[in-house]
Order: sequence, then C-alpha cells, then structure tokens
Amino acid sequence: MRTLTRRQQLSATVLAVLALLFISLDFAGGSFADARGGVTGTLGSLYRGTDAVLGPARRFVQGIPDVAGNRHRIALLQQQNHALQQQLTAAQADRATAGRLAALQLQADSERWRILPARVIATGPGGGFDWTVTVDVGSAEHVTAGQTVTDGVGLVGRVLSVHQSTSVILLAADPASGVGVRDTRTGQLLLATGQGGAGLTATPLGDAAPGSAAGVRAGDRLVTGPAGGTTFAPGVPVGTVTGVRTGQAGGLTAQVRPAAGLRTLDLVGIVLLPANTATRAPLTPGGGG
Amino acid sequence: MTASRLAAAVAGLLTALLLQASLVGPLTFPVPVSLPALLVVVVGIYAGPGVGIGFGFATGLVADLGSQHPAGVQALCLLGAGLVAGKLGGLAVQRGYRTRGVAALAAAIATGACAAGGLLLSVLGSHAATLPATLLALVPVGLTDALLGLLVVPAVRRLLRAQGVRAPRPATRIVTTPPLGGSRVTAAPARGTDVAA
Repeated sequence: MRTLTRRQQLSATVLAVLALLFISLDFAGGSFADARGGVTGTLGSLYRGTDAVLGPARRFVQGIPDVAGNRHRIALLQQQNHALQQQLTAAQADRATAGRLAALQLQADSERWRILPARVIATGPGGGFDWTVTVDVGSAEHVTAGQTVTDGVGLVGRVLSVHQSTSVILLAADPASGVGVRDTRTGQLLLATGQGGAGLTATPLGDAAPGSAAGVRAGDRLVTGPAGGTTFAPGVPVGTVTGVRTGQAGGLTAQVRPAAGLRTLDLVGIVLLPANTATRAPLTPGGGG
Repeated sequence: MTASRLAAAVAGLLTALLLQASLVGPLTFPVPVSLPALLVVVVGIYAGPGVGIGFGFATGLVADLGSQHPAGVQALCLLGAGLVAGKLGGLAVQRGYRTRGVAALAAAIATGACAAGGLLLSVLGSHAATLPATLLALVPVGLTDALLGLLVVPAVRRLLRAQGVRAPRPATRIVTTPPLGGSRVTAAPARGTDVAA
C-alpha cells in the first residue's frame, strides 16, 4: 500500500476542508451562482456539441430494448390505420350516397313522384345495347320495364328489362336510345339521341322551321316531354345545349351535355308508377326521414 | 506537473463529464453510474494518491458547479475516492492485477464514492437522494462500474504510459556497498516519491 508524503497529507487535508467550506457556503447562502452559471454555460455548450455527435448513437442504443415492442406497436398502428382508412372511405361513400339520396328526395318532393332508390351493381353492354347498367332492384320491388331512371339531377335512362332482384337500365347515352325532350325556353319538342361518350344530340321534331327564331340554341335546357309514345316521366332534366349546327339540308342538330353524370353512376332512382307498391320503402313527397 | 499532464487531466475531466451527460447517464438511467468517479479512481490507482486527490477534487468541483446540489459534495467524495484508490492501487499494481482485477477494484471504490455522495446529499436534504435509494443502487452501480471499468482501465493505463503524460521517474541515488566478493550497485528511492513499498 502506498503511503502519503507529508505534502500529500497536507494537500488532502486542505482540499477536504475547502470542500467542506464550499458545502457550508453553498448550503447557507448560495454564493456560487456566478461560478455555477459559468460552468453550466461552458458545459452546456460543450454538451450540445457532444450530443450532436453522440445523440444518434445514444438514441439507437436506447431504442434496442424497444425493438420487439416497437414491431408489435407498428403492426398494431398499421391495423388501426387500415381500419381508420376503411372508415374514412365508408364515411365518404356514405356522404356521397346521402347527397344523392337528398337529390332524389328533392326531386320526389318537387315532382310529386315516388322514387325507388337503386344502386348500380354492374355496367357494360347488355340486351343488345352498348350503354347499360344493372341495378339491385327488380320485380320484387315492383319495377317494370320502361320506367324512368334519374340520378336526382337529370335523366339516366329507362328500365330495359326486369328480373327478380335486378333490372337492366338503358342509358340515354346509348346510340340506340331516343328520348323525346322539350326545350324549356321555346317549348319546342326535339328527339334526343345518345352519342355514347360524346353525350347526346337533339334534332327538332315535326315541322320546326329550320333556322327559325324559335329554334334551339346554345344554353337551352332540355327536359323530357311528351313526344310520341314516350314512356319517360315528364319534366326530367335531360341536358343543356352546348352547340347547334345546321346540316346541308338546313336541319338543326344540337349537341347536348347530359344533366346526369352518366360516367359516375352509383345511386339512381326509379320513378315508380303511382299504382306501384314496392317492398323496398320508396321515397315519397315530404318523407325526409 | 508538466503542461502535458495538466492538459491531459483537463481533457480527461471534460471528456468524462461530457460522456456522462450525453451517453452514460441517459443509457444507465435510473442507475446513478458516475463515469467521472470511475475515471478518478482508475487514475488514482495507476498514478498514486497525490494525483488521485488533486484530480478527484477538481473533477468533483466541476461536476458540483455543473449540477444543482451544493458545491463541494462531489469534490469531497471524489477527493476521498482518489485518495483511497491511490493507496489501495499500490497493492493492485504491485501484485500485477490485470484489467479485470483493476476494474473490479475501481468499481468497488467508485461505488463507495457514489454511496458516500448519496448519503451526504441525503443528510444535507438538498437533493432527491435518500438513504434507501442509495443502498438499493449499490449493487447495480457496482456491476455497471465494473463493466465500464473494463473500458476505462486499459484506456487510462495506456494514456498514463504515453510519452509526455507519463509521470517523471523518481530521482534515484546510487548506493554502492562494498561487498565481500566484489562491488554491488543498487538504486534506492529518494524521499517523497510514490514507489510501492
């Protein structure tokens, strides 16, 4: 064992007394505030510099014990995130459906119709026509062929064929579809014909004078109207005239932008005949709930 | 003390304090391991009680001023730790303890210093340290200090043997005793040197 020299003993004694003195002074009055401030400031600056270098390594080491737990936590959070995204998607779909139902209800109220809501479950050619959709209501809900179909805003088409629980709708945009329409500005009757993705075209019926002042023009609104043996419910918006061109024979052909969103069909309404009674509760005038 | 030894001491002190604050303290929380205390003890073991006392006091005082507890507590504890390490270290060096042995000895002394500091703070009542908490922390602190010692001991030993930091050799005087069969030359230590007895 090493022995202390006299000088070392003296140093140890002096330093120990000094330490006790510091303790007494600091404990009594806190007279080391300046010294503490200086040391804390210096060490703080150095600590920040050191932490910038060692911090990532420290955090990596500190995270090692939590790796297994974090994995489980991440999986749990991913599940929760997935469920929340599903809820969000469902909520958005519900909102959209609610909007369409509100539009159908408004139309039922204003036109005094009974409208049966139906959801589009399939699209594509059917029954010899190119532009058809299938909806999830059929004869069980007293749907019959020829009934008018609307999306709450405009004309979608008419019921082409009916099965037990589904029905095929012929869209107004189908090239083989013809709809008798009336120009709301002039009262002129026209025949609207589907043009597929290009919308509709309308040509005047009967003896409408080519190029007359009463002729159709851009901006005119067209609604379904009695034209021949039409089966469409009257007054359903069909579209807006976007342009008119005159043929070589002097006949007018109007380009019509459909009022209904034919490319985004989801919830549609089938206008029931008054005598019909459906097993699915139809929307009735004033039946907001 | 040479300028290079002083610079090495300051560098070691600051490095220990910064590593304590940025790495050792957060990683070993809630075990109150003190790297500066361990460094003081290891330096004391290899460099002797004189260096241990001075280095311990200086390190403790800087640690005190950088913390919230009364100044002088760590200075007193590390001064004692350096003193004890310097005295007991002579035996360890003399008996040729390897790294593990020195680390175990250093851990024991550093843990004692930690316990002394905790007790002193609990007596002063100026800190969150309590007697039960101090006693409960002894075993984990000792084990962690021993593990840390495995890193600190070789580093300090190598540093203290480095050119410029190495302690100056004690002055020796040549004693010549005329033997019966011829002359024999021995070296005797001068007074006031830290040579193992």
